Amino acid sequence: MPALHQTADQQGVFVTQKFSGGVFHADLSDGRAGVEIELLHSHLCASTADGDAFVIPYEECQLEIGGYTGKMLFCRNADRSVTLFSEDKQFPKALALAAGGRLDDQLASQLSKAKGESRRGAIFSFGLVAATLIVLVSLYFGIRAGANRVTQSLPVSLDRELGKAAYQAMPKEGSEITDPLVTEPIQSIVDRLADHAKVEGMDFELHVIDSATVNAYCLPGGTMVVYTGLISAAESPGQLAAVISHEMAHATLRHGLSRISQTLGLTAAVSLLIGDTAGIMAAAEEFFTAASINSYSRQQETEADLEGVRMLHAAAIDPSGMPSLFELLKEEHGELPEALVWVSTHPDHASRIEETQNMIDSLPAKPYKPIDLDWEALKSRVAGDSTKKADVSNSSNESSADSTVDPSELEQENGS
Amino acid sequence: MEAELRDKPSFTNLRLQLKPGDSVIAEADAMAYMSSTIRMNTKWNGGVIQSLLKRFLGGESMFVNQFSTDKGGELVITQPYPGDMTCLELKGNSMYLQPGAFVACEPGVKLGVGWAGLRMLIGGEGLFRLKVSGHGRVWFGAYGGIFEREISDEYIVDTGHLVAYEPSIGVKVGMAGGIFSSFFSGEGLVTRVKGPGRIYLQSRSFDGLAAWTNAHL
Repeated sequence: MPALHQTADQQGVFVTQKFSGGVFHADLSDGRAGVEIELLHSHLCASTADGDAFVIPYEECQLEIGGYTGKMLFCRNADRSVTLFSEDKQFPKALALAAGGRLDDQLASQLSKAKGESRRGAIFSFGLVAATLIVLVSLYFGIRAGANRVTQSLPVSLDRELGKAAYQAMPKEGSEITDPLVTEPIQSIVDRLADHAKVEGMDFELHVIDSATVNAYCLPGGTMVVYTGLISAAESPGQLAAVISHEMAHATLRHGLSRISQTLGLTAAVSLLIGDTAGIMAAAEEFFTAASINSYSRQQETEADLEGVRMLHAAAIDPSGMPSLFELLKEEHGELPEALVWVSTHPDHASRIEETQNMIDSLPAKPYKPIDLDWEALKSRVAGDSTKKADVSNSSNESSADSTVDPSELEQENGS
Repeated sequence: MEAELRDKPSFTNLRLQLKPGDSVIAEADAMAYMSSTIRMNTKWNGGVIQSLLKRFLGGESMFVNQFSTDKGGELVITQPYPGDMTCLELKGNSMYLQPGAFVACEPGVKLGVGWAGLRMLIGGEGLFRLKVSGHGRVWFGAYGGIFEREISDEYIVDTGHLVAYEPSIGVKVGMAGGIFSSFFSGEGLVTRVKGPGRIYLQSRSFDGLAAWTNAHL
């Protein structure tokens, strides 16, 4: 290549190339200006729009690669008073060519240095992202464990106050039923299970609400709400007891409280650790918070299923009502699209059946005592109530069919 | 055109005395008051696509206002937040401005939006930034005071404090110290800038304001 250059020069037809760039020099007002750089026979020549010109002979050239893109070539004179630079992609090659090999070594070492820096930069960025992920993931698991432990050490009276306040504030979907023919059989199930609650100090207070909604929930502290729709939809006292035990387990395992502390804890811990939460951090934090709330309650549902089975077994109630309840849900709803919302926070029916059945199989055999209630009477009484029959004494003539209940509402059983 | 930056540094505003035939381009909504002899024209901030890019990615307005006059007059321009403003005279060179810093410029200045790269996002400065080039004066602002540093070697700036830098400045995002001190010093990540060239810094950062406000809500 140098040969070509010399030939061209000897013939006097050496074509100068121009590159746009800039200059730093103390004599310029503001110390800088944009320039056109020409590569001449023995030197670089840069001229500003105002007519100033700067010259650097090739043998004096001190090269450096840098700038924002990492691809800008700087060229300084011997005393470093003049700095010319250009970001033009062709500039390094053209400069090497014009200098006839005098700058090749410098250019090669600068290029390899720039390459090394950009590789280090990429490794750092990758390492940073990976480290952030590791910190967030371990935080996520750490806080889950930590929040659970903290929650278990709080007094149960806190749960009770929380639950009572929540119950007051919640919209009721119907009027409360005080008819002892309805409340007493359910109360008897609650009482049998309450004796075997995992936590002492729970105050299981039953409210039966006249509503077609197929739902039941137990608030922190033990405020238990059963909708008449659930009683109509259940096929056996065992299934009803299964739902009640599952909901009571949410309260005794103190899921409401640990969910609150986890959500608060994750946000607090992330902002505490990563002082100035920049864009990516905030987004990741949000993502993990959302993920924790979802997968978290799925885990809680499984825990409540198993704790429910344990309570049923301990109370000498046949726990097979639990898997049979999930069979019912599966048959009625299969994989209906509207089940999606529920499925996202609840494990699928098949795995709930499997897990509860496995647990039942692993429990020691025990003589189960039947649930002491008149199932048909309860159902017809409820059917009478929920169809608003004026004369409740005739209710025994009514069909006990759960005709008022849309089976799809079974999906609404929520895990609060 | 005579320009004067007044009420420095907290509530700096730019007072321009336009001579007949002068014109100036300013960020939308930047005009505070002006003589009735000045005409205002609103135009796309570049082309339509460029304007959209500047609006959504560069933190600038979709439209800019061009003020011109046949008779001369006074025009006062401000920025939306408290802080200092400064003037930069371009002579064929260029400068990158962080999103939202641009206030006004003379007609010879070209405004372009450019991809700043992932490192600037990690550094908390935004994915895109404005490039001003050409000939003429540019006025831009900062939150808090503005420092100007001519750097020949490396300089460390906390994220969110860099307002403007020349293309000749190399920017790397790095940790403030070791892993422990980076996470627990509250400094987190910093940007390492490398000369030659000039950088403009602001004495306050919006992230800092947001965090402080958050703590008092």
